Amino acid sequence: MPLASARFAEYAAQDAQNHGMKLRFSFPPYPLVGRPREVLRKYVEGNDPITGRPLMPEVIEGLTKPLTEEEKNPKAARRKARPRLLQPDTEENLQRLFQESGWTDGLPIVLPTEARVAHMLTGTAADANEIVGQMTITIHQEKLEYTVEKVAINAVMAGAGPEHLPVILALAASEEGSMPSSTTSFGRMAVVNGPIRQEIGMNSGLGALSPFNHANSVIGRAWTLMTINLGDSRLGETFMGSTGNNMNYNNMMIAENEERSIWEPFHVRMGYKKEESVVSLFQGWSAINSMGAAGCCRPAQEEMLIIMQAFPCLQGALTLVMDPLVAKHLKEQGFDDPKQLSVYLSENFKMTAGQFWGSDVVYSLVEPNARAGMEPYASWLKLPKDAVIAPYTTPEKINMIVVGGETQALWLTTDLWRTKTVSIDRWRPKSGAYKEDDRTARRREARQKRHAAALTASGYDLK
Amino acid sequence: MTNTHDKKTSAFLTTVLDPRGQPTAAVEPHPLAPRLDTVLGKTIYLVDVGFGGGWEFLEETMGWFARTMPGVKTVLVHKKGIMFVDEPEMWAEMRQKADAVIFGVGG
Repeated sequence: MPLASARFAEYAAQDAQNHGMKLRFSFPPYPLVGRPREVLRKYVEGNDPITGRPLMPEVIEGLTKPLTEEEKNPKAARRKARPRLLQPDTEENLQRLFQESGWTDGLPIVLPTEARVAHMLTGTAADANEIVGQMTITIHQEKLEYTVEKVAINAVMAGAGPEHLPVILALAASEEGSMPSSTTSFGRMAVVNGPIRQEIGMNSGLGALSPFNHANSVIGRAWTLMTINLGDSRLGETFMGSTGNNMNYNNMMIAENEERSIWEPFHVRMGYKKEESVVSLFQGWSAINSMGAAGCCRPAQEEMLIIMQAFPCLQGALTLVMDPLVAKHLKEQGFDDPKQLSVYLSENFKMTAGQFWGSDVVYSLVEPNARAGMEPYASWLKLPKDAVIAPYTTPEKINMIVVGGETQALWLTTDLWRTKTVSIDRWRPKSGAYKEDDRTARRREARQKRHAAALTASGYDLK
Repeated sequence: MTNTHDKKTSAFLTTVLDPRGQPTAAVEPHPLAPRLDTVLGKTIYLVDVGFGGGWEFLEETMGWFARTMPGVKTVLVHKKGIMFVDEPEMWAEMRQKADAVIFGVGG
């Protein structure tokens, strides 16, 4: 007999259907967390707000009322296969259809006509009918399957061109959605490394995280549209993030500034070759800007330890997204290799056991492991509240990405953990790279020359 | 672009592709477990799945049984792993020890 709080009645009804059985749910009021004992007792003694009936008698009935024929012999609720083409209509009506059906991110889309999708498919050597993967934004609901063509459709909708398709296909091949359903409202980041960054004109420099660059914008948006349409994200039905997360619009889609970083590229540190093009995916919730220059008043690594106190340390993971100036400053501090910084932060960050266990998300997702005897959590659970622990136990989970235009030595401290790194080269066209038009290439080259000239004129020396 | 002209509305019609993934229809139907004739004299396990406030709510549920149906034995336990992971060994243990299970509180 399952109990779920009333806020999730709609979700539970669908979830039961997805499991092939119609469970007899009862629903106490919401929320339960943080409510005083007398309130919880009133909930137990009161009514199920969904049915209006007394809660506990309803629970007893659920345990004892004989099964119906439908409960004994349920039928699976199967959704029909989707047609390849929609009914022809005017552009205005189709835009409305996409919006009202929940197939967009709320912004106008480029309508995926057959001609546009066919043009998009010139960006990959893969067959349009090749299965790329399956996705769901929940852990336990029915996955949707998608082909290269389905990915291309969503790429067109996002405003992408064929040159962006290999990266978008790599994101799809990860089978990870950009908006997991958690009520905690996850955010994601995707970082591209390797030659494709420059071949398709991604921004890894000035304002890389702001909306100025076509490639960054449309690839990030495509991940979200795929999550909606291929991951079955439906507000209130499968997506339950309470506040949502504005990272979801673009998913912090960036390229690493390999050329201006004093360290080896991120993907090389992860074991890939420099000439390989890959996209690394990260998941978490938040990013905090250092809001000032590294090394002004105290070394960046000490400032990082202070900012880290804001996070609950759920996964023991952290990702620092830093301007090339910060990497240079840290090297001057003795961190020749970012791995040394990971070890420093792992060893020197401390919090009390009370602070660690006092987080709701740690209580929900880490304490069960502690009760099951997993170390070091089992030992930490026995400590007094004021005992000091070093919760970032695994330096390999502390990552550094170098991004930015060297106008300020700032960094973002994020609670993002790396989930996966995916090959982009697997999805390239036969020619290796989609040839963009000469005019776009010339403009980008001129922009890069202006930026390099500005850095040279400033006397900045990367070495 | 596959545009056609609709003579009735004088508007150009466009054909576009469906952006949604295909259902995999992998779900198999399962019947519910048989019900009890009565809960009196039976042992009911209350399993806390781990969401905040759930344990305290189920403690109050135990209190309700003690006050209202003292003939029912209740046992409150934590689900061993996190709430998102199925635990076949837990269900096997419940089959051995419990006549019924109240499982929650979701969300």
